[in-house]
Amino acid sequence: MELFFAQLLNGCALGALYGLFGIGFGLVFATMGILNAAQGAYASWAAIVAMYAIDLLGLPFPVAVLVGILAGGMVAVLVDQIGFEPLRRFGPGLHQAAMLGALITSIAFWIMLESAAGFATGQQSLAFPPGSYPAAVFHAGPMMLPAMQAITLAGLVVVGGGMHWINTRTRFGAAMRAVGWDPVAAGLGGVNARVIVIATAFLSGGISGFAGILSGISTANVSASLGQGLMLKGFAAVVVGGYDDIRGTAIAGLALGVLEVFCAQYLSSSWRDGFAYALLLGFLMLRPRGLFGSAGFTRA
Amino acid sequence: MLRRTLAALAAAALLATPAFALDAGAYKVGFVTDNTGPLAFAGMSFSRGAELAAAQISAGGYMGIGTKLELVEKEGAGDAARSIQSYNQLIADRSVLATSCCILSPIAGALKPIALNNKVPLVIYGATAPGLPSLPYVYSVTGLPGPAEVAMSKHIAAQAKPQTVAYFVLSDNEAFQARFKASQAAMEAAGAKTVGVVNVLSADTDFTAPATQAIALKPDLMMVYTTQSPAAGIVAAVRARGWTGMMSANDAISPAAVFKKIGPPLAGVPFPVNFSPDASETPKAKGFIEAYTAKHGSAPDLYSAQGYTAIWLIAQGLKSLPGKPTREALATALSKITVLEHDVYGGLPITGGQAETRYTLFLNWTADGKITAWKP
Repeated sequence: MELFFAQLLNGCALGALYGLFGIGFGLVFATMGILNAAQGAYASWAAIVAMYAIDLLGLPFPVAVLVGILAGGMVAVLVDQIGFEPLRRFGPGLHQAAMLGALITSIAFWIMLESAAGFATGQQSLAFPPGSYPAAVFHAGPMMLPAMQAITLAGLVVVGGGMHWINTRTRFGAAMRAVGWDPVAAGLGGVNARVIVIATAFLSGGISGFAGILSGISTANVSASLGQGLMLKGFAAVVVGGYDDIRGTAIAGLALGVLEVFCAQYLSSSWRDGFAYALLLGFLMLRPRGLFGSAGFTRA
Repeated sequence: MLRRTLAALAAAALLATPAFALDAGAYKVGFVTDNTGPLAFAGMSFSRGAELAAAQISAGGYMGIGTKLELVEKEGAGDAARSIQSYNQLIADRSVLATSCCILSPIAGALKPIALNNKVPLVIYGATAPGLPSLPYVYSVTGLPGPAEVAMSKHIAAQAKPQTVAYFVLSDNEAFQARFKASQAAMEAAGAKTVGVVNVLSADTDFTAPATQAIALKPDLMMVYTTQSPAAGIVAAVRARGWTGMMSANDAISPAAVFKKIGPPLAGVPFPVNFSPDASETPKAKGFIEAYTAKHGSAPDLYSAQGYTAIWLIAQGLKSLPGKPTREALATALSKITVLEHDVYGGLPITGGQAETRYTLFLNWTADGKITAWKP
């Protein structure tokens, strides 16, 4: 039983990473209608910048994390303004073509950003310097919780809760939803769609970047390909949770992490990813709008 | 007088150049690199070792007066399709006399038939699956890790006397499965019972759950049979969860970059190697370490030594040939080599195209980042 609960915690911590990444990924999808293949690269770059901020500049851990998050957000804004903004000028009449163009553009940015990240890391798998991040282990009876797992779980609660609040209770959230629904109509209603898009891109990159930083520390792996694993599982969390619902993404991320860990513990590590993607396929077939997605959401 | 002097000089030159010598000129060796992609951490070391060997061979005239060895590099990125494409480009150039490649055994296995069909010598510098060499065209300079790991298992069993062992194994890599089974048999023969096998995958990066699983087995010893990134990640995850018991790993954790990444959690974890800049003490090894450090600004690792050895083996084959050799003649010459002239291992006999490890060092990292002989 002790092992069961220990693995449950491990699964939740892993799932929190998927959930966090998925929130950033889903934000772009819900607001801008872009299936952004470059999102994983934002996570990689945020982790790389945060690591170098500690390693080369000697910044304290919380400041380095903040710098990494800012870097993730800025990369996302650059990609959006260089790659996606010109496509938006096609206008609503060419919306499908623009969406396909955005996907292809995002794939191009993914490859470019990943290649550049490879050079930034010297094509190596690096890690945050030992001792530069919280490494304490909390004990509760036979259970133990490493500090980074606690931070990751808290991160999901804070970011997920905060984003849900922003999305549902603030004028900015209403503007985001309005732009996601119809940017022209939102503009007619007084919303500066371009500012909202830039702010959303920044938030999305920052949140995915935060997931990348936490993942880089937890797995002792900061490399160009760091974001790839998060990308696939984060996408699954968005689909299972519901494309436009942050709570669903967070819960689905946690469920995916727990499922993955339990599969490896009680079935076989070889089946682990198969189960996760079978779950994704099942949701796409049986409940395409996901756990909490709105019935009218059509971008799937 | 002048005519007589010139004739004397010409005669002296003729006498100085043996009839049985390689013609002056540049000889090309194709080298498939893995300097990008998931294996770049090791690939760059292999390449740097090979580049140093080519530079030394050319500068010292090792193959004969006026001869140079030119390395033609093409990137494989640790990807089978790209490696095959690069390899085909290399062998399409008829001036490339020999080739060298591959960290991963499946890629080496894919290039082997191409080398055999095209009758071009191929020296494998990194892949460790048994059965890859095929005379007279395919050779491996990497001593098979299995025997070294079995030797280390016996050494640990004798020194530390563990009663129970848990193993971490790559479930998607046949070579590591075989290496694990060989060591498991050695440990069980020594009376150490297997309490569990924790399977991980090559692409895994999060090892908290596998670490929890292994710790729950409460073994006296954990043995790790995975590639570098998982091995480093597993040791870090197990130690991060507070487990202070004994662990062992393989040569993948020996490069300095691994200690820089993981740090003190690696301390005391033994691994078997046949080359280490901190422990190899033969004159050739010391010369290699010095030259490599001067050229690249950091000490070589076992991968650098393997890349270096691959190119020296090809040069030794070329040196033994007269005139302008063909690929076939070079293959025949290579098949006759049983002792490497430029050997940084202190003994690396070649039998049937496969290099064999004569000496194995059982080493470990210390908490302050030095490599020393392992003691329980």
